[in-house]
Amino acid sequence: MIFSAELLVQTVLSGLMVGVLYALMALGITFIYSIVKTINWAMGEFYMIGSYIQFVAVHHLLGARWWWLAALISTAGTFLVGLILEPILIKPMYARPMQRRDDYATVVTIALLLLLRSLAVALGGPNQYRPESDLPVVWIGPLPQEGARVAAFVCALLALATFWIVIKKTWVGLALRAAAQNRVAVQTSGVDVYRLDAIAFAIGVALAGLAGALLAPLFMVFPTNGAVTTVKGFEIIVIGGLGSIPGALVGGLLLGLVESLGAAFISSPYQNVYGFLLVILVLIIRPNGLFGERGRET
Amino acid sequence: MAGPLLEAEGVTKRYGGLVANDAVTMTLVPGEVRGLIGPNGAGKTTFVNLLTGFEALDAGRISLAGSDLTGLPANQIAARGLVRTFQVARVFANMSVRENLLLPFLAAGSPGGVLEGQARARELLATGTLEHLAEEPASVLSGGQRMLLQACAGFMIPSARLYVLDEPFAGINPVVKDTLIELIERENRSDGRAFLIVSHEMAIVRRLCPRVSVMIQGRVAAEGTLDEVARRPEVVQAYLGGAAA
Repeated sequence: MIFSAELLVQTVLSGLMVGVLYALMALGITFIYSIVKTINWAMGEFYMIGSYIQFVAVHHLLGARWWWLAALISTAGTFLVGLILEPILIKPMYARPMQRRDDYATVVTIALLLLLRSLAVALGGPNQYRPESDLPVVWIGPLPQEGARVAAFVCALLALATFWIVIKKTWVGLALRAAAQNRVAVQTSGVDVYRLDAIAFAIGVALAGLAGALLAPLFMVFPTNGAVTTVKGFEIIVIGGLGSIPGALVGGLLLGLVESLGAAFISSPYQNVYGFLLVILVLIIRPNGLFGERGRET
Repeated sequence: MAGPLLEAEGVTKRYGGLVANDAVTMTLVPGEVRGLIGPNGAGKTTFVNLLTGFEALDAGRISLAGSDLTGLPANQIAARGLVRTFQVARVFANMSVRENLLLPFLAAGSPGGVLEGQARARELLATGTLEHLAEEPASVLSGGQRMLLQACAGFMIPSARLYVLDEPFAGINPVVKDTLIELIERENRSDGRAFLIVSHEMAIVRRLCPRVSVMIQGRVAAEGTLDEVARRPEVVQAYLGGAAA
């Protein structure tokens, strides 16, 4: 291994770039959990749906030039799928009086994971696809970066900013924040908490869909392509703390950095191990995650 | 005289063998401020929960200004004008005091928009002496201030016609109590909004409520002015002990 300042900067940059995309996944998981109170195990399958829509849109319909429009369509598409699926699959667990409802809801998301994966195999086969990308290499100083990677990074930052504006500045965001704090009280305000659940679920899976669309030219499109990013998403949740939005962002960046630095300066085949080491370290030092709350509120 | 505002007929709730509300019937006219008193465990909070859709009725019917509310979810009941507060104030602790007020206003989709909501919030904050805390998170408020905020949030719903306040005066300091009384009187005077106030504080009930209903063991045992009901033997017995009437 040769250490150089240039390599360090490049490694940090690429770690941050991929970290922001991990953060999108983690944000989706944590956001859905904070409102719907369900861990959505099918997150990776919404990532997968986003990547397939991106491939079809770029390869068959629009062409590589219009990748950004395709990414918007992928995001909107996964949003819609989420908006339609939540009231059918998750809401019944919460709208009826029953015990252990979040456990049932979680199991339903696991069933959804299997269903969506099988559907992808049935529709597109087990093949790997890759949407074309004609984005030129971007030089940051003397350092080259893949164009698609830089584009994904910029789009992910834009998506995070949009998310922040929606949550902080719109009335839907206000209602979502309120629902995250107290599902009972929000109903006395005249807010339909089940409709908010559907919106929150849709926003969360749309973040995964966007990540899938942006990473499609880098990490390929195939039925199980969301599995790895889902695991990363959950690693970040452990690092940052479940239900914490800043935790998702900081956790995503940290994971991206640790993986990238470990791969460059220690050994690249063990890239995934470094993330798990970070998870174990956080569990030892702060079991609730960096930004996690100490207890759960009901 | 105008038709009744609230009509609750035969409202019944059972928990296993316990009948928490046994065919409770109650009628309120527009603009009325009614007290709901009774010993602990009489079923007052259950009745509030049933009225506002937080629990499901086993039998009975509830309507507000002629429109049937029976079986509607809590949020729709609130949107149709029957708004409640909780015994332990439920405010959104991580949101600012102003945001707590704006949420119910915006949820109602008021045509006046945010500006009207801001103006209304300012007015309520001034009356509720919470102005200086408007931008603070609600988590900094005392228990009494939270109760004020919770009440004010209800007053932000433009379509609200009846407020059901569950023990609003319990455990709050006298100054905040007076402020809350002032708020209730003001809302009642200016908009003709009706109130059903569950309370054990007889002095306040006497001041605010021309009529009271007394619940004993899940039934409305008496109705009338506080002095009238206080003379009824079954009420005296229920409060002072001995076998129930």
